Amino acid sequence: MKKFVCLALCLVMFSALSLGLVACVQNPETTDSLVVYNWADYIYDYEEDFKAYYKNITGKNIEISYVTFDTNETMITKITKGDSTVDVMCPSEYAIQKLLETDWLVPLNYFDEQQYAKDISNKQNYVHNSKYIDQNIVNKIDEAFGEIAVGDKTVSMLDYMVPYMYGTLGILYNKVQFQQLGIYDVETLNKANWGILFNDDGNGNLLSQGLDGSILMKDSIRDSYAATLFYLKQSGKLQGTKYQDMPIGQLINAVDDTLIDLCKDVLTAQKSQLFGYEVDFGKDDLLKGNAMVDLAWSGDALYAYEESWNDDLNNGEGDYELSYYVPNGAGNIWFDGWVIPKTYNPEHTEAIKLFINFLNDPVSAAANMCEIGYTSAVDPEVVRGNADAMAVLAECYLVHGYAKDDNGDLLAEEHCDYETLAEFEEYFFDNYNEIDNSNWRYPFKFSPDSSPYKRDITTLGVMRDFGQNNKKVVTMWGYVRSAGVSALPLLLWTLAVIAVVAIVIAIVLLCKHLKGRYVVLSK
Amino acid sequence: MNKKLKFRFSRKALAYPYMAFLILFVVVPLVMILINAFITDGNKIGFDNFVEFFSDAGGGLTVLGNSLIIGFVTTLLCLVIGYPVAYFLAKYHASNNVLVLMFILPMWVNFLIRTLSTKTIFLAMDLELGMGTVLFGMVYNYLPYMILPLHTTLVSIDKRLIEASEDLGASKGTVLVKTIFPLSLPGVVSGITMTFIPAISTFAISEILSVSKIYLFGDAINMHFSKATNSFGVGSVMSLVMLVLVIVSNLFTSLNEEEVRSVL
Repeated sequence: MKKFVCLALCLVMFSALSLGLVACVQNPETTDSLVVYNWADYIYDYEEDFKAYYKNITGKNIEISYVTFDTNETMITKITKGDSTVDVMCPSEYAIQKLLETDWLVPLNYFDEQQYAKDISNKQNYVHNSKYIDQNIVNKIDEAFGEIAVGDKTVSMLDYMVPYMYGTLGILYNKVQFQQLGIYDVETLNKANWGILFNDDGNGNLLSQGLDGSILMKDSIRDSYAATLFYLKQSGKLQGTKYQDMPIGQLINAVDDTLIDLCKDVLTAQKSQLFGYEVDFGKDDLLKGNAMVDLAWSGDALYAYEESWNDDLNNGEGDYELSYYVPNGAGNIWFDGWVIPKTYNPEHTEAIKLFINFLNDPVSAAANMCEIGYTSAVDPEVVRGNADAMAVLAECYLVHGYAKDDNGDLLAEEHCDYETLAEFEEYFFDNYNEIDNSNWRYPFKFSPDSSPYKRDITTLGVMRDFGQNNKKVVTMWGYVRSAGVSALPLLLWTLAVIAVVAIVIAIVLLCKHLKGRYVVLSK
Repeated sequence: MNKKLKFRFSRKALAYPYMAFLILFVVVPLVMILINAFITDGNKIGFDNFVEFFSDAGGGLTVLGNSLIIGFVTTLLCLVIGYPVAYFLAKYHASNNVLVLMFILPMWVNFLIRTLSTKTIFLAMDLELGMGTVLFGMVYNYLPYMILPLHTTLVSIDKRLIEASEDLGASKGTVLVKTIFPLSLPGVVSGITMTFIPAISTFAISEILSVSKIYLFGDAINMHFSKATNSFGVGSVMSLVMLVLVIVSNLFTSLNEEEVRSVL
């Protein structure tokens, strides 16, 4: 009996060992790996979906290391100093430009139809979803970054990157307070344009007394510079200069001493109108009513907008308190894209391309838009035409018939935000505000021809890296921030108080001294 | 046996981990700041950053001046408010630690939360956020740093010296001015340094309590490092200036009691 147990035990141990060995031997063959470097909170919970997608196409498993960064600057430093080795990463447009110029990127040829067939059956080639990407954003990228000098050759950024998400810079404002001030109408808003940030009605007059001290500016050098430049153009302050007729795409990148000085003056004058500068607290200040206007990015604006639902508005039917728009004459559009740094692991090439492909699938795009709030570079019509993608969005936005509760049951109608898919689609894709005249989620969907303030695609510019002029802009910003603030009165008041106190003490002491003497004398 | 290879464990060895920490996280960063201060545009070496800062083109000197004034006023207010508090705590409740605790209690709440709440209160009171609110926030946040060293020194003053001066006919006021205050000078000095240095380098308080309208030296350094691209150079020069201020005030603290008295 004992012998048998011993034998059985040996057998079990042996089989366990051999299983383990097999597992060890098999693992490296079937599991690929990939290192992704992305902004924090800039992707949905993609891991399971991507693993399934990868297995489906290649038959292999994949392990993903996911690392995040907070600013383009940290990302660039880490990559170029060799602190971390990543396969694929997602910087902003100007950071991609910088990396390209310093020859840090590997060509992707994602848009080259010739090189990669769209054939799933042939695993040597890559399925690519470039056909899904919005042609408008592709054109914009080509317009701004079509010719970048790298060493002695000229390259196009599109050969090195795949756009991921994009957004605009615009004005987030409190609709209700604007109504109270009597400035919430098509005419006023579209005439004032970027002047709203400067309390200027577009003709150089004060827009509204009530806006005084309720304007927030973004504590971001590039964005504030761009907004100021747009204001300069639209309020005619560039009249008579060579910048007067420059297209926005050029003007935004024509950084020079003249423009920087003009911005400096306007920004310094603006300070008296401001509630303050913000980075993170702007949304809160607007929602709480501390400020009425803020310079904002579309994704942040979306978040604030959806938070601002108020049941009491609109005669009890409820409405959003905040609104966001890109003024019609000029605007900035920015984007982030996937690139491969030169230090990547060439063995991971397949995984990299499949990862990018996966993200440009309409379903992944829908999931990302739901999670992040910015606009995916995938064409809205493609998302709209894809039933699976629409189901993802509908569940996320609580559309009746799609939204589920924690147990997986369909939500009752009264708990849903939208009754039908059509109603939701209209909100999501065609959310055109007639008053401020904009569709902010899809800025390329232009206002209707009937609108007197019709905008077109040329009014949106992409901002390149400031390059050599960056320093001057930083100096300008430092000057603006320090201007008009003086602690000298504080010092003088303090010295005055000290002097008064000293005099009082001196008098008291003197009195005591004299009194003492008097007492002595009288004796 | 080869004696050279033998590791001799002495008490000194216990300090090595911390020495390594100091070198890695204090000395190395300082050296990097020093190097960065001389680098412009990523590759050029020169004094460009110093010229940029000391020419005040970016408002750096103005900001430094403002910060020094606000730091001075904050410290003065902390001293004026903190000294009586520390004095009475030491005099009447030397053994009562609960009372001391009450004054340190605000420090247990995260200072960002405290400052954000202060902002909300000011807004609810319809006060305009600006220099006044920033000053309030500074005094509010740094007062405990003034009270604690003062309290420690005042408690440790030898009671017999006070009794002696009273026995020799000094009035209460004279005892305070001529015996207690001179004996508490070391506490005053360390209280001043513990308040003044943080007060001139802070950026969160001014950012929150003036919605970034009051722009202090800490804000400026922060801007150059985290909000601007390729501006580490000027930021490093500012950090060096800050460092010089810290060293000067530390020299002031390290003077012994006798010297302090002669300086004041």
